[in-house]
Amino acid sequence: MGVAPPLAETAALLERERELEALTEGLGAAEAGHGRLVLLHGEAGVGKTALVRRFCEEHAAANRVLVGVCEPLFTPRPLGPLLDVATEVGGELENTVRTAAGSHEVTAALVRELESRVPAILVVEDAHWADEATLDVLKLLSRQLETVPALVVVTHRDDELEVTHPLRHLLGHLVSGRAIRRVAVARLSPDAVTTLATPYGVDPDELYRKTGGNPFFVTEILGARGDEIPATVRDAVLARAARLSPRPRALLEAVAVARSDAELWLLEALAPDELGTLDECFASGMLVPRAGAVGFRHELARLTMEESLAPDRRLALHRLALAALAEPPVGAADLARLAHHAEAVGDADAVLRYAPAAGERAAEVGAHREAARQYARALQFAGSLGADARGELHRRRAAECYLTDQHEDAIEAAHAAIACYRELGDRLGEGRSILFLSRIAWCPGLTAEAEEAGREAVAILEELPPGRDLAEAYANLGTLLRDRDDRAGAIEWATRSRQLADEIGASTVACGQVIGIALTEVLHGAPGGMKQLQNEVEQAQALGSDDLVAWGHLSLGRAAMRARRYGIAREAIDAGLEHVGEQGYILWTLYFLSYRARLELDQGLWTDAVDTAGMILSERWISTLPRTVALTVLGLVRARRGDPGVWEALDRARALADGTGELDRIAPVAVARAEAAWLEGRDDAALEATDAAYELALARGVPRFVGELAVWRRRAGARESVRGAAEPHARELDGQWERAADLWDELGCPYEAALALADVDNVRPLRAALERLGELEARPASTIVARRLRRHGARIPRGPRSATRENPAGLTPRELEVLALVARGLRNADIAGQLVLSPRTVDHHIGAILRKLGVRSRGEAAAAAARLHLLEPEDREARRQR
Amino acid sequence: MRLNTYVILRRSGWRSPEDLGAAAERSRKVGDEEMPDDVRWIRSYVLEEGGGSVGTVCIYQATSPEAIRRHASMADLPVDEIVAVADTVIVRPDPAPVAA
Repeated sequence: MGVAPPLAETAALLERERELEALTEGLGAAEAGHGRLVLLHGEAGVGKTALVRRFCEEHAAANRVLVGVCEPLFTPRPLGPLLDVATEVGGELENTVRTAAGSHEVTAALVRELESRVPAILVVEDAHWADEATLDVLKLLSRQLETVPALVVVTHRDDELEVTHPLRHLLGHLVSGRAIRRVAVARLSPDAVTTLATPYGVDPDELYRKTGGNPFFVTEILGARGDEIPATVRDAVLARAARLSPRPRALLEAVAVARSDAELWLLEALAPDELGTLDECFASGMLVPRAGAVGFRHELARLTMEESLAPDRRLALHRLALAALAEPPVGAADLARLAHHAEAVGDADAVLRYAPAAGERAAEVGAHREAARQYARALQFAGSLGADARGELHRRRAAECYLTDQHEDAIEAAHAAIACYRELGDRLGEGRSILFLSRIAWCPGLTAEAEEAGREAVAILEELPPGRDLAEAYANLGTLLRDRDDRAGAIEWATRSRQLADEIGASTVACGQVIGIALTEVLHGAPGGMKQLQNEVEQAQALGSDDLVAWGHLSLGRAAMRARRYGIAREAIDAGLEHVGEQGYILWTLYFLSYRARLELDQGLWTDAVDTAGMILSERWISTLPRTVALTVLGLVRARRGDPGVWEALDRARALADGTGELDRIAPVAVARAEAAWLEGRDDAALEATDAAYELALARGVPRFVGELAVWRRRAGARESVRGAAEPHARELDGQWERAADLWDELGCPYEAALALADVDNVRPLRAALERLGELEARPASTIVARRLRRHGARIPRGPRSATRENPAGLTPRELEVLALVARGLRNADIAGQLVLSPRTVDHHIGAILRKLGVRSRGEAAAAAARLHLLEPEDREARRQR
Repeated sequence: MRLNTYVILRRSGWRSPEDLGAAAERSRKVGDEEMPDDVRWIRSYVLEEGGGSVGTVCIYQATSPEAIRRHASMADLPVDEIVAVADTVIVRPDPAPVAA
């Protein structure tokens, strides 16, 4: 095999000391047992790949190097880069990746593989093209990397990541973990360009001006050896290719059509007569050898070549590729690649053969976004199919879009499916699709449409012999009415569903209804409902259906949050997040995260709450309930801290909640707006914010919201007699503020406790309220309480930051808690679990602890804690009492 | 992401100019190395707070007030108040820095 020409090598590796140093440092940490993830980012052509390959070559002797490449396919292979790695290592990892396992299992197998022979360097190239399942694995891997002896290098472009790009989500998670390093790969300096240009007699200033120092562009221009400097990269690439004779050029074209790395057996089929000129292509510097394959030195060059192909030539090559890939010499055919070539050829039969199969395979491994794209691809060619087959494709696309929260597409696909079944006169298919439409329409807050479709589905399915579909349609209607807090309606339809499900032996449906009925009771404040719900959920889980388990956790989390049973809520949220994460159900994840954001807010963990809210908001998902919660949490934390941007968040929240008719969405937004207005001293605005919601809560008889809204109205000056409020608000409305504060303390809600104390007309509780608000850094509320104290003639101590200054190292109470667990030898993941923080937040705290204590490691931090007596119980207790 | 401009008050944050110097270095390091996309430190005015202690008024650009607070917590800087800047009116350039 040939070697890369010196020019490309030199250009890509000039001025790379800093980047190589970061990689070497990461490898050093990995060798010491602490894995590192290095994100190498930069624009296309800046030399990320060349840098990584050079680094790997240098360390290949002493380390195991595993490389996976993401490909620029419109619909990437699920787990593509990991499949590369798995094929290389074989064994358990290969089995796991090939057998469509979930991302947790793949990550576990990958970790075992990385630990088996150490130290390993795992490279994932071009993550901007990665499929969803691969990004999930990287995310999971990054969380446990601290204890895995491996250096993971991920390269990605940063110049074409639009806001909705899935990689952005991963980067958001990775942004500041301790095991994570971001390294920007910079362009060449004018000096470096001069060094390269001089031997070629090219004007270095013009070269720098045209290329901006992009190494790929520079190399292409110098490689083209023309008299003039081409104006674009494309011209440079084509000029360079034009210097080759026809046969090697034809080979380039074949490689361009194949994919980023073309297997040699594939090239034998695409360009049998030209394969002999491979060395010429290597010598020209345009192609480079890869294991058993060849590829362009850079994707930009491949793209340029592919685009410059004459249409008939391109078609012929795609056709050959399609035929060859259908019968690969080893292993199973790659469905995603086949679908890609079939589409390029415009071969409807082939697209319809491969794209749906590729979609199914993608869905199995949890790459639902890719699955939806494959079904959409198939549908473009489905004109010749019968209505039944088209209906089926639309139905599947709708389901995959629903799972990935692409609701506009899901609704469109569901309508298309309904039309197909109507055309066929298939009432069952029609009823099922309308039922599905009802479920999808609810997510973006189209509650009226959802209910209309829900009733229509019941009507159609009732014409047919009763079966599981009708039981599900009853259940759906019950759910919609429960979300409108229609207690009687919800229970009636759930009961019908349950009776029918029992008759026909649909045990999971029946079980889901038992949960639904218990949930309805808790939501309306029925005593003893919580215990019953817990029992039902436990029994449901014994049935083992994944959906039922998820539904159980979700119901329990929601019920516990409304009943303010935070311990139960936390358990349900944690268990639910783990469960749905394994299933790849992004939409459900968002709901659990929304409960968690609210829980963290209520428990006074405001920084965590905004982090969790940020995770929800960083998704482009249009499902509006989680978004509404996230914006409410964000707005409230800003209001409580006295930070700017309160109304921006709360206005957006109100826009999403208005018009849904659901108290779960409307009431929390109204309460938040009332509090924010009250903190600004605008009592009228606080009353106005709650008028409509309060009326709705009274009409529907929901004790939690009646109480919460009434208390805020009272604070804003309303004098209304209130009945049917839940605790602790009922005590507050009775004027038993101190008793209410105790109840808030028992629930673990420090801010609410402080506000209750602030309403006692007495110096001692007011002082206690002020102290607590100071600890929470709740500036506006502190100001209000201080004013009340002054009216009592009390002197106000100054210094809002006294909380931090009291212990010698200046650690916050939360940091002390984290430090205590560090000193007990807990890992970050365990600390995160124990304190219900995101791993990222734990990373922040540990970073701050190390800085404040002036130490470098966790061990040193534990030693310093002992030396400074930071963790002795009486000290901590004393600080807590303060 | 869009960057907004904020004024951050850190009153009586440090016992001495030396402490402030160390904090400034942490601030720069965290900002430039750990969250370059989220915060940009523009400039600061150091306040005499009596008894040798100092505070600051800082001008930052950031994606959100939460980013300002995360930066502060990572660099161990106090935050008393964050105010969003609606507009900037520059009458004269800043005077030459005076030694603290």
